Amino acid sequence: MLKQRYRFYQALLLLALCLFLTAKAAIGQLTWYINFRYIPLTIIGVVFLAILAQTLYSETKYLRQNAQHDHDHDHTPASANLWFMLVPLLIGVLIPSRPLDSSAFSTKGFNNNSPLVSADSSAELLGTDSQNRNILDWIKLFNFESDLSPFLEQKASVIGFVYFDKSLAKNQFFVSRFIISCCAADSYAIAMVGEWPQASTLKQDSWVLVKGPVQSIKLNNQAVPLIQAESVQAVPVPDQPYLFP
Amino acid sequence: MVILSMIPASFFFKWLWDRLNIFATVFLSIFVEALPYLLLGTFASGLVEVYIDRTQMSKWISRRPLPAAITGAFMGMIFPVCECGVIPLTRRLFNKGLPLSAGISFLLAAPVLNPIVILSTAAAFGWGQMLAWRLGISLVIAVVVGLVFSVEPDTTNVLLPILMSVDEHDHSLEINASFGGKIRAALLITADEFFEMGRYLIVGAMLAAGLQTFIPQASLLAIGSGPVLSVLVMLGLAILLSICSTVDAFVALGFMGTFSFGSVLSFLVFGPMVDIKSIIMYLQVFRRRAVTYLVAIPFMMSLLAGVLFNYLKP
Repeated sequence: MLKQRYRFYQALLLLALCLFLTAKAAIGQLTWYINFRYIPLTIIGVVFLAILAQTLYSETKYLRQNAQHDHDHDHTPASANLWFMLVPLLIGVLIPSRPLDSSAFSTKGFNNNSPLVSADSSAELLGTDSQNRNILDWIKLFNFESDLSPFLEQKASVIGFVYFDKSLAKNQFFVSRFIISCCAADSYAIAMVGEWPQASTLKQDSWVLVKGPVQSIKLNNQAVPLIQAESVQAVPVPDQPYLFP
Repeated sequence: MVILSMIPASFFFKWLWDRLNIFATVFLSIFVEALPYLLLGTFASGLVEVYIDRTQMSKWISRRPLPAAITGAFMGMIFPVCECGVIPLTRRLFNKGLPLSAGISFLLAAPVLNPIVILSTAAAFGWGQMLAWRLGISLVIAVVVGLVFSVEPDTTNVLLPILMSVDEHDHSLEINASFGGKIRAALLITADEFFEMGRYLIVGAMLAAGLQTFIPQASLLAIGSGPVLSVLVMLGLAILLSICSTVDAFVALGFMGTFSFGSVLSFLVFGPMVDIKSIIMYLQVFRRRAVTYLVAIPFMMSLLAGVLFNYLKP
């Protein structure tokens, strides 16, 4: 491949990558892949990609102007390198993206006894308004506090996606969220139990807001928070579908 | 009849579609997360190419193996790169005449012994034992492997030749180029290396995502909790997850309750040195035999360290 053309394709691919990531950032889907804390880094990366693409493009112009003595350049770079950069673009564009859901439970793990974070952060949670706690907060409290009685009958209001499991009764379902530290590669799911007479009308993996007083239920010898749902509302996928410990 | 025979097929397609979605999400997450760090590493490599020449390199770094290996291990404090960025940078430094022992220990230590990773480890575990042991053991392993490599007198037995030699006669790379000209040259090198290394990052991320799509993590965690097995499980997980060293401390924190101090420590030491994507990237820079050493020695030493801690500090 001619050097000049190679540089042009490089510029094009980096620009495409840059635009792809910009689009993901603009529609707020970067949080489907990485922890929101690392998004500024990605943005810096995107800006740098744009600078690289611009430099490469201006180099093609430079090469065109000086093309005479450049005809038989013998070390043409491996063009295979170029095609690989298409892979993330194709995967990103062709496979409609969606955040991880219950179909990933079988491989990523569905596990309430993970030590979510150090115990001291559960102490902070004791004082918070029960309706402001998310699923992760509730699981932390139930994992770290030996005495659960202060939390029982507190009102909970949590958002998660629905997951039906054989271990639960007909009127029960899991309200679940994925936890990620760095990116979706290290995710695993946690869940509370919802109890609601019309549970069977819910759809697997649909996002819901569940409100009601909290009880405790034993699953696999472990205390898990159960919400006696007074209301279950369908909600859109949250801006940040995953929770961060 | 027709409808009945369709049912299993549609189930199969739903299953396949779900797998494909998980694969895409995990693949893109590794790629997006590693991208800025790879750019940083390749840009550092470009700057080294235009700003450092071979005579300077020999002035700064001793030729004697041990001092060279120790210097190499601490060079990460100046070049804060993680395990994706360190590989192109190390290759560039070798090209500039960095001794083998220094380069190898830099390669292994820099993803841990650098300010960003120290801060993130401290953020996850506090300024305590975990951080100190992580740094200390990584340093020891890096220096030992550096010394092992210093036995080899001929670098061509270790390094593959740079295939796509980045424009030694590029027009913009004149000796007295202006500041702008030099930066421009550095950026062109960055782009070439980004494509070259990015290729292997992509292959590695696809492999890692593929494994995560089909192998249940729970099966790995279920293997064992014994003092040796649990370390092996964490080492396996470090390879499988392929997450960047700058953030792996937060992931490791999640394992602290299920796994012992020693096992988590071995994850933190070994993960930055070896994982699926870095093995694939190593294979582009080093000869097979050298890669075997680069993987096997850190593996054995991390295992040993993890098991020792499990017995001393259960």
